[in-house]
Amino acid sequence: MTTFLQILLNGLMLGGLFAIVSIGLTLIFGIIKVVNFAHGEFLMGGMFITWLITTQMGLHPYAAVIVVVPVLFVMGALTQRLLIQPLMSARDDHIQIFATVGLSTALINLALLIFGADIANTPPHGLRAPLEFGELRLLTGQVMIFGAAIVLVIGLELFLKYTQTGRAIRAVAQNRGAAELMGINVNHIYVLTFGLGAACVGLAAVLIAPLYPTSSNIGTYFVLTAFVVVVLGGLGSIPGAFLGALIIGEVDALSGYYIGSDLREAVVFGLFLLILILRPSGLFGARQNLSHLS
Amino acid sequence: MSNETTSGPSVPAPSLPWPAIGVVLVLASLLLIPLGIGNAFVTHIFVTICLMAALSSAWNLVGGFAGQLSLGHATFYGIGAYTAVILVNLGITPWIGMFAGAGIAAIVGMAISYPCFRLKGPFFSLASIAFLEVFRVLTLHFSDFTGGATGKMIPLKLGWTWMVFRERWPSLLIIFGMLCAVLVVVWAVRRSRLGFYLIATRERESAAKAAGVKTVQVRLVAVAISSALCAMLGTFHAMYLTFIEPSAMFSLTFSIQIAMFALIGGLGTVSGPLLGAVLLVPLTEWARASFGASALGLHGFVYGVVLLLAVLFMPNGIIGLLQKFRRAPHHELDEDEQTTQTDSIKAPAQATTPPSPDREGIGRDVMRVQNLNKRFGGLHVTKNVNFTLREGEVLGLIGPNGAGKTTLFNMLSGFLTPNEGSVTVRGPDGGYHTPVNPADFAALGVGRTFQIVQPFAAMTVEENIMVGAFYRHHDEHDAREAARQTAWRMGLGPLLQDEARGLTIGGLKRLEVARVMAMEPRILLLDEVMAGINQTDVRRAIDLMLSIRDSGVSIIAIEHVMQAVMSLSDRVLVLAAGEVIAEGDPHEVVRDPHVIEAYLGKEFANAHR
Repeated sequence: MTTFLQILLNGLMLGGLFAIVSIGLTLIFGIIKVVNFAHGEFLMGGMFITWLITTQMGLHPYAAVIVVVPVLFVMGALTQRLLIQPLMSARDDHIQIFATVGLSTALINLALLIFGADIANTPPHGLRAPLEFGELRLLTGQVMIFGAAIVLVIGLELFLKYTQTGRAIRAVAQNRGAAELMGINVNHIYVLTFGLGAACVGLAAVLIAPLYPTSSNIGTYFVLTAFVVVVLGGLGSIPGAFLGALIIGEVDALSGYYIGSDLREAVVFGLFLLILILRPSGLFGARQNLSHLS
Repeated sequence: MSNETTSGPSVPAPSLPWPAIGVVLVLASLLLIPLGIGNAFVTHIFVTICLMAALSSAWNLVGGFAGQLSLGHATFYGIGAYTAVILVNLGITPWIGMFAGAGIAAIVGMAISYPCFRLKGPFFSLASIAFLEVFRVLTLHFSDFTGGATGKMIPLKLGWTWMVFRERWPSLLIIFGMLCAVLVVVWAVRRSRLGFYLIATRERESAAKAAGVKTVQVRLVAVAISSALCAMLGTFHAMYLTFIEPSAMFSLTFSIQIAMFALIGGLGTVSGPLLGAVLLVPLTEWARASFGASALGLHGFVYGVVLLLAVLFMPNGIIGLLQKFRRAPHHELDEDEQTTQTDSIKAPAQATTPPSPDREGIGRDVMRVQNLNKRFGGLHVTKNVNFTLREGEVLGLIGPNGAGKTTLFNMLSGFLTPNEGSVTVRGPDGGYHTPVNPADFAALGVGRTFQIVQPFAAMTVEENIMVGAFYRHHDEHDAREAARQTAWRMGLGPLLQDEARGLTIGGLKRLEVARVMAMEPRILLLDEVMAGINQTDVRRAIDLMLSIRDSGVSIIAIEHVMQAVMSLSDRVLVLAAGEVIAEGDPHEVVRDPHVIEAYLGKEFANAHR
């Protein structure tokens, strides 16, 4: 019984981690309608910066947030401005997918060029210390991630609902043309949104770096699961991504224990296909992707 | 108005088929250069070029023609490699093994694609990556068969039976042959009905459905062909490498490269992927050879940057650039000028007497609409709509904006399913059927146009109409001939070779009608085909519709041009706020106070009385 509870708890923590990685991805998709295939590489970049700051300056990893989040915001904003914006008028979304895939490939290999193939371990500064609740154990860093994910989801929802900028962002997502007619500068909103999405994954990077080894392909490892999470939650839905992440976290933990740790991914991606068959709009999905009349 | 426009349709002067000659030259050099040089490394590079060109061409069937962006095509390549290597270890020749792998890959490909193809959005790209990962993980897990992470060797049995050679040139011959075969398949698909249906579906899914295309099915066929070809190429490559391992066979980077050659050459073109591979493979192989050891990641970085530059600066690929050169800026016929010349203006608002409701040629019921209700959430769009359409009849459907006319059409053609009620159609067999989806409706001979025109923008006028014509003709030549005849009948003859995106609104409306007429429908649903076109064109359109009617086709026409409604309709149905408020003889209906009220408001109706 303890084992089972421990697995559930691990799944929950894993869910928190998937959530914090996925939120930025679903935000960008929901507003700009672009799947950012370079999302994982943004995460990787953030983790490397955290590692550099922690090892070079001897600071606590969480201190890196002051640098990583603004840097990633700028990276995201530049990606939108220089890469996606010129392609917004493209006839189909393939070109944009190719663009982010190209960015992803370039960033992975750039990291290989700079940091080599070695694994970079960020000093944990106590974040890998276990917290014990009776017989159940958690890592301090995992709890911090979970808490941060909840705060981020609530914070973003409040921002989108109650601020003027947030309303503008939602208006653009609903109807680009109408928003433009209302005097909203759509291109600014897109740049801001992409920046925000990247900043979210920057926060994730700072929190994840002390717990996971950083390497050039760490992004691919996380982002594939993040895709499943985002589709399960309903493309573009932030609370959906959170709930989806918790479900996938549990599925991952349970299948890892009961089916085999090397088959976890097969189970998760199998579930992905099942979602597409049974409920393609996801848990909180809008109707947008199901319209059969173009 | 210049004199050039009067000289008739500008038929391009017969010139040498340069694209075909170019492809043959490229192919010949792919074989002759390495055979002439006879150097092992050079031959190796040419084997790689042929392999990548063939993989990329096969990918292009799905990624280019079907417009479904696969980022995990290495899945099929890996399946082909593993199937063949496992079979070779059991003593079965790869020449048989490659077909086994192709079969498995086709089934896997269709299984992954089916859920995604019913959806709009980036799902297929995501699923293709996810399943690449699944297959890598499964290969690692079932190490008894696959050798797991350590990989799997093939027993070194030399000779043509085992596809393993001491020299490199026999491998070059095999992969060159496979490349040619793949190109022939792709070329044949492009020219066939399947190819037209794929591109039509990519361009406008709903219009393709209305043209009777089973949109999911045609894309599944494309995936099956594409994955089978990739698997066979995987078999070859496994025999060439003599050793396979999961991370190399099911690699995301490799999948992206496959797609990239097609993008850089030209998506959805027959020779694009070949050109892309010919230009890029030597470049990157050279970079790998000169920098590979010293700068880890440089080779991949170059790939990524080339991809970024390509999407930003030449999204249509090399073929797109070449076409820009070839297409000399010729003066396009101004369509409206043309019409005015060929047809002197007749008295526009000629009050024609409406055809008598019981005129000859009107036969039995062909469509029965019973008690049709549709709700969108709390909005009740059509309420208990009942009517019948008789053979050879023109039924005018009028009503103010928002009355539910287009919603009704969507239910009459299978694009929307009613909440209650039924639509029954008399089939060619004489029996009554209850079709449920656009394909069923098309099969029973129901054709429709769209109020907001839906051309296949990247196709020419002729190709657009051919998509409709393929519904009746399986052969490309027959379909082309039928499309041409239809085009001339619709006044689109001079514009046959123009791209649909360049037409004026009047031309596009006519194209809509031409495309559906090429399907030879028995029941025609026309949604505002006369809106926004000029008086002369209205007159022509009326004559056209009368001739269509006289050929035995039953027509339901949504129309706001009253001149057309009055002179065409045998009966008129007036829809307001989702209800049928009047039905019958056109001249009586327009005097009906309810109708006037619906259009102009109560006060006006009262004042008029």
